Amino acid sequence: MIEVIGPGFLSIIVDRGRYGHGHIGVPSSRELDRFACSMARFLLQNPEDAPVIEVMGNDLRLRFSREVTFAITGARVRATLDDEPLRPWSAHRASEGSILRVREVLEGLRYYIAFSGIIDVAPVMGSRTVNLECKLGGFHGRPLMKGDRILLADLHNPAQLLGVPDTMIPSMCEPHIVRVISGPEADHFTSASVRFLERRTDAALFSATSRLNRTGIRLEGNPIMFKKKAQRSIMSEGILPGTIQIPPDGFPFINLTERTIGDYTRLATVADVDMDRLAHIKPGDSVLLSSIDIKEAERLWRARRDAVSFFCKKQ
Amino acid sequence: MKIERFGEQGIRIIFGAAMDEETAESVRRFFLYVRSLKITGLIDIIPSFTSCLIHFDRDHVEYDDMSAFLAGTEDGWKKMLLPEVQRIEIPVRYGGDYGPDMDFVCSYSGLSSEEVIEIHSAVTYRVYAVGLMPGFPHLGTLDRRIYVPRQETPVLKVPQGSVGIAQFQTGIYPFESPAEWRIIGRTMARLFDPGQAPYSLLNFGDIVRFVRA
Repeated sequence: MIEVIGPGFLSIIVDRGRYGHGHIGVPSSRELDRFACSMARFLLQNPEDAPVIEVMGNDLRLRFSREVTFAITGARVRATLDDEPLRPWSAHRASEGSILRVREVLEGLRYYIAFSGIIDVAPVMGSRTVNLECKLGGFHGRPLMKGDRILLADLHNPAQLLGVPDTMIPSMCEPHIVRVISGPEADHFTSASVRFLERRTDAALFSATSRLNRTGIRLEGNPIMFKKKAQRSIMSEGILPGTIQIPPDGFPFINLTERTIGDYTRLATVADVDMDRLAHIKPGDSVLLSSIDIKEAERLWRARRDAVSFFCKKQ
Repeated sequence: MKIERFGEQGIRIIFGAAMDEETAESVRRFFLYVRSLKITGLIDIIPSFTSCLIHFDRDHVEYDDMSAFLAGTEDGWKKMLLPEVQRIEIPVRYGGDYGPDMDFVCSYSGLSSEEVIEIHSAVTYRVYAVGLMPGFPHLGTLDRRIYVPRQETPVLKVPQGSVGIAQFQTGIYPFESPAEWRIIGRTMARLFDPGQAPYSLLNFGDIVRFVRA
């Protein structure tokens, strides 16, 4: 069992997502940084559907009431186990009574904590991930609070304490370069304001506002201008994580994991290879949108997927 | 039916350009047919007014194969025997504390609240999409006499069951949430229950009538 002594900020239980219910408006609510979460599962030899804790902010404190192996991945943090510094992105063994403390986030926004066991919360509609708006899934449908006790099922202790090498840990500091693929309504905008979509050498610079959560990230900067006669909204239609929508005011909104349809025009879609980066965009960070074509996006994704599976097999 | 790629993991299947019953009926046919096939690598299928969005697992199926397969379903969904749509009555308490925007709707339309209620509950609506949040039905078509724009700044919190109107649609908030639609009433009907399949009271294509409670 693990006791929450300090809950950090908006610490929630997430997994790979709730799928198959998009037609009734149920979003995936999945973990935002999928690479960080798969590495955490790999380090702890957990199955693919094992949930993890997604945390923002400093001063998360957990007390272990028995021996458990754990890992912290995602945002780079300064953390200690019983006041001894520990290396993130590696497996560590906590003993009975140990206290894990995350003191400071150094780079990025969200970090993940995983244990050598399955966080024992009941699946709702096929997933343990929390949907905060509907108060379903996760830990009683809410963020963790001081005093909560997390139970682990299928506890195991990995024989080896593995680590992810520094060279494989992605950068999470600004400027966030986000590559995008042109979207269905890209022709609603003046070519001057979306030049970056047509010319590979151009990029559009925005900064993230404080209106930023798991639903999406609102950007500000030079607004994207609608053509004179273009529709400023569409009839609601399906959207995916990474769909960049332009509301009538022209400031981009990057959809994350809590909406299945939208009625804003869809300028572009974030390339899968850069999706995890979105988990680490903080208010005020600069965000550079640049465009690639679908073939390039696929090539980048395959290259990364192959690198990850090569690493996991080698261990 | 037009097939377009949407990012790396999406495919749009487009059946028309306007909110009308014929287009929505094609969307419904395609949705029900493709769903019944239980295709490997298909993660989700999201029907709405004029299209279906297919979310596929790009690590298990190639775009070219999936889109070719979907193109080949046209005969199947066109000939499919459709199940009956559900017809559902939603009891609503209109106005007062239940409908805080009724006054705005009256002054915008120049109608009395009695007339607004009369018009809102006189016709049947079709579910043209479910989304925004789980179980939220987008119902059309609203009578143009009670057309109102959306709130420019969302209201921070409306209670579960709030019935709203905006432009040519009406809808129901299944959860307490911020709202952009103008709230004219409230229903006690439970729109979404995560503990009980099929979870959503209303589904794409269902027919709804509001009745005064």
